[in-house]
Parts: sequence; C-alpha cells; structure tokens
Amino acid sequence: MGDDDNRRRFVLLAMPHAGAAYNLARWLTKNDQDAQDVVQEAMMRALRYMGKFHGDNARAWLLQIVRHACFSWLKENRPAERTFVDDSDDSLENVPGPAEDEPHTMALRKAEHLEINQAIAALPVAYREVLVLRELEDLSYNDIARIADIPLGTVMSRLARARGLMRTALMPGGRPVLRTVPRSINGGSGS
Amino acid sequence: MKANIEARQITAFVDGELDLETQLEIEQRMRVDAELREKIEGLRQLKATIREHADYHELPAALRERLGTWIAAPVAKPATPSRAAVLIQRWWGWRPIAASLALVGVGALTMNLVTLQLTQDDRLVDEVVASHVRSTLGQHLVDVASSDHHTVKPWLSSRLDFSPPVNELHLPDCEFLGGRVDYLNGRPVAALVYRKGRHIVNAFVWPSAGKDSKADFSIERGFQTARWSQGSMTHWVVSDVNREEFKSIVRAVQAADGER
Repeated sequence: MGDDDNRRRFVLLAMPHAGAAYNLARWLTKNDQDAQDVVQEAMMRALRYMGKFHGDNARAWLLQIVRHACFSWLKENRPAERTFVDDSDDSLENVPGPAEDEPHTMALRKAEHLEINQAIAALPVAYREVLVLRELEDLSYNDIARIADIPLGTVMSRLARARGLMRTALMPGGRPVLRTVPRSINGGSGS
Repeated sequence: MKANIEARQITAFVDGELDLETQLEIEQRMRVDAELREKIEGLRQLKATIREHADYHELPAALRERLGTWIAAPVAKPATPSRAAVLIQRWWGWRPIAASLALVGVGALTMNLVTLQLTQDDRLVDEVVASHVRSTLGQHLVDVASSDHHTVKPWLSSRLDFSPPVNELHLPDCEFLGGRVDYLNGRPVAALVYRKGRHIVNAFVWPSAGKDSKADFSIERGFQTARWSQGSMTHWVVSDVNREEFKSIVRAVQAADGER
C-alpha cells in the first residue's frame, strides 16, 4: 500500500543526499565506520517516514533525521561529548574571537588542511554541527534551525561562537596546544 | 561609543542572512568604521579558509553499495522483526516471482532515470538559451543588483543549496550587473549577469560530479553558448555577442574562477 511509491520517492528525493548525510554523520561521530552505520540506520528510518514527507526540501528533511540518529549514537557511545552549551546572550559577549588582546587584523596563520580539520573536530558538538551545516553543506539559517532543532537566533549565536573558537584556534601564534591537547582550548578562560 | 552591532549580527551579515534593512545598515557602518570592516574581513577570510580546507567526507563506496543493495531489496529484515515484518517476509518467501518482479521494477526505474538524464542533457541547451532570452526580455535580469561579488555571493549562497563561484571579470567595457536564482536542469542554479558593451551575458553555475573539462562552444538559435566543468561546477555561458568577444568572456570567467 503505497510502499512502492514511497520507495520511488525515496530514491528520487532522499538518495541524492546520501553524500551530505554521510558528511554530517562523519563530522559528528568523528569516525568512518560509525558514520556509515548511523547513516544506514537513518536512511532506513527516512524510508519509513517517506510517506509523511510532503515538503519541498528533502535535503534538510533527511539531514534532520541523520542528525537525530547521530545524537542518539553520541548519547550511547560518547556521553562526554554531549556538552551543554550556554546560548544566552551573555555567553556571546564572551565570544573568544574579537578578544581585546588580539589585533583586529585577524590574519589567520596559514592554516593547513590538517589544522583546520582538527580545529573543527575539537569544537563542542553543538558548535561543530552548525558550522558543518553552514560551511560544508551550505545550508540556510532556516534549514539549520530546523535540522538542529533550535531557534533561528540560536543558530546565529552558535555560529558566531563556533567561528570565534575557530579563529582563536587558528590565530597566528594561536594555541599550538590545540594540536595535542584539544580540551585546553577553553583552558584558563575562567568563567 | 562602539556601535552596538552584535557578534551574531556580524556573523549573519557575512552569511548574507540578515534582513535587508540591517544588511544595509551594516554596509553603511562599514564605510566609516574601520574596526568593523576588519572584523568582517577577518570573518570572510575564516569562512573562505574553512570552505577551502575542511574535509568534505565523500560517501564511501562501501556505504553507497550497501544502500544500493538495501533499497533494491527493500524487505531486508529489521533488527527485531515485528509481527508484520515476519508476515511480509513469509509472503516474500512464497512469492519469489513477485520479488523478482519488484527487482525488475527497480531496474526499470533506474533505466528510466538514465533515459531521462539523456533527454535532459539534450534539452539543457534549449533551457539555457530560453532562460537567457527571458532574462533579457523581461524585467527579471537580476535578483540582487550589485557589482560587488562580496554582496552577490552570500546572497546567492543563502538561497541555493551550494555556494557558486562569483567573480567580476577583468575585461574592458565589461560590467558585473549582479545575480539571480534561476531554474535549469531540474534544479535551482546561480545566474551571474554581465554586460559586455551593449550585450547581456548570462553565466549559469551549478554543482556537478564531473571532472574538469574544456569549454564546448556551440551556436544555438544565433546565441553563442559554452559549457564546461570546473571545480566540481557545471558552467554555461550564453550571450549574443560575437564569437571572438564571446571566447574572451569565457576565458575571463574561467580565469577568474581559477584564481579563487
């Protein structure tokens, strides 16, 4: 009953975004094998939900399901990753980016591949996901809000925060410690 | 004293996600506020660096295959088979013919998609020329009128599911008029509009999986067209300029894109 129809729609609408699904899962789980498993599970779930999808943005719809699967996986397997982030405006005042002690010519050190990847991987997952959705998946704030299930304003704050953290990590003479001890990225900032 | 532009507004500004009023307000402020200008420039640099260097993890072949097998054989058992699933499985077990018919159905669907793709390619040049003609006839030449690619690119990126290369062309008597979102090849694409002399040039861009390829020139209903792939993007350029000028425009688009 409509099963074939759903499968046809799935092949046409969801399958083309399997690449995006994997990229997101790979960045959230931080390893290939688990990302593959999470994506496969999410695709199965997506097929089951296909009949209920009537929107026009299959990519955001699929990524929402994938993101949910990733967070379930994190909850089970990396409970420490699920940090609570402070989205209040106060926390934004402390965006580490435009710190007073840094010159405003924010010349980035000639950051390399590896360094950029490590800096993204070191971000708390709540910031990492918005950054990946924006810069790698090129999604609109509206789509990101829907996928990450947060208000539009929070998308903005988290992106600002994520970029601040990235900039700090990549600043000239920045924090070379990042390479070896990613956690110390927040070290010494007090609270 | 420092103006109260919040960090998140600046972030939304570089993403082209602000409402028009705030966007213009910040643009205005940038002219007088060097510090703000530097902040924004820094953010743009950061964005560009991340986009250039961060890994985009491609779908592994193994997973692609797994998904392909799974979708072609949809009755794969769930981890904990429900009663209904067991019934379905039993049904399938009794109906190998039905199962193979279903496979044939999926195969036919794939074939249809392939054929569809081919006819689409044939139709594409028509679509491109039609879109060009429409844009020059109607009032809808550009959605975002600006000669600054820093304005046009974020505007387009925020309305498309990809970030198109947007460049001014270094050619005499050539003006960058702006961009619009168009619909070609069954998908939203970026259209960049230039004026060369008195002629309008439309340059269409959308993502494609193909390898880089050389420009393929042809004349369609009197319009010069060129298509090529570069940096995982399909490019189509169309205009009614003469052949020589058209070639120099295509070269300029390719060079500008290569510089990025």
